[in-house]
Amino acid sequence: MILKILIGLIVGFIFGYTLQRTGITKYPRVMGMLLLKDFKILKFMLTAVTFSMIGFYTLDSLDIITLNPKSLDLGKLVGGLIFGLGMGLLGYCPGTMLSRIGEGKKDAWFGLIGTVMGIVFFAVNVEFFKTHLKSKSMSGDISEALGIHQWIIVPVAALIFIAIIYTANKKTDDFKQNF
Amino acid sequence: MKIKNNQNSEWHWFTGGIIVSLLAMATYVAFQNLGYKSYPFGITSSFGSITTLFKYPFTALSENPMIQKYANSPAAIISITMLFSVALGGFAAAKINKTYAPESIPSVWKKYHGPGLWKRYLTVLFGGFFLGWGAVLVSGCTTGNILQGWAHLSLGSIVAGASVFITGIIIAKILYPKAGGRK
Repeated sequence: MILKILIGLIVGFIFGYTLQRTGITKYPRVMGMLLLKDFKILKFMLTAVTFSMIGFYTLDSLDIITLNPKSLDLGKLVGGLIFGLGMGLLGYCPGTMLSRIGEGKKDAWFGLIGTVMGIVFFAVNVEFFKTHLKSKSMSGDISEALGIHQWIIVPVAALIFIAIIYTANKKTDDFKQNF
Repeated sequence: MKIKNNQNSEWHWFTGGIIVSLLAMATYVAFQNLGYKSYPFGITSSFGSITTLFKYPFTALSENPMIQKYANSPAAIISITMLFSVALGGFAAAKINKTYAPESIPSVWKKYHGPGLWKRYLTVLFGGFFLGWGAVLVSGCTTGNILQGWAHLSLGSIVAGASVFITGIIIAKILYPKAGGRK
């Protein structure tokens, strides 16, 4: 119990601190990304993904952890579209919303109330969404789906992510306010 | 890591990315060793934990499978703690580095949509509704689906992440149709 609270405190604190310090919580940065004018968040995210991907697959190959890829179903597509609608209206995602509340941005509280209402709405209609959007699902592992060894896929994906970071970095300057 | 060169005193995206990545990996390893199957470094489940409170005023909800799942999750305490600690982290970062600037609505919003408070609050309330609904439908928000899902090269997460951008970009263009120039 105490261990759990301690882990939650440390992990959440570092996460919220990093998001704020890196500027990821800023409304103009999130909207700037959606307007394709400010790519700092994209670069931040893809750096984290590339680094963790190599780390996770290394740990998996060493049998320290088991990977847990999320399966593909229709809900992923529809849910993503609904989530994007919310993110465009809010200008932040759930994680940055909490960090923004800490920063003293009052509008984020309304986002919190809305998010909880959205989850309750899903919970009340959970059977409907399960039967219509989540009934047919496919294993989430890309290397399994394509039948290619994971250590061929990982370097290729890493190169694609790095290429995106490189292109985005050349295109915009984080120091200017682009939006 | 010595790339903290920023006029507006922000960390470099690389620094932030590496820290979050190390955090994601450390929690994943720790939790698999502690024997929790579900990955707790996701913010959606933290919001989900709040919904369990609704079973007290609305007793019918205590039978709901989703609410029960959140209530009985072994990581529930961690999720609830994280609600507060992420906000605390944001608060500490802003205070320590003297960037704490409370505001009711973002200044960019004010510039394009006027200073009306309720216009922004209602937009955010509706936005939050879609955000929460979408997050549970894709089983994870940005943290779970991109930081973990993409790093595990999950087909589902890649589809979800790409579709977020489709509607996100459309809404951004509708809200800021003329946001072309630099300030």
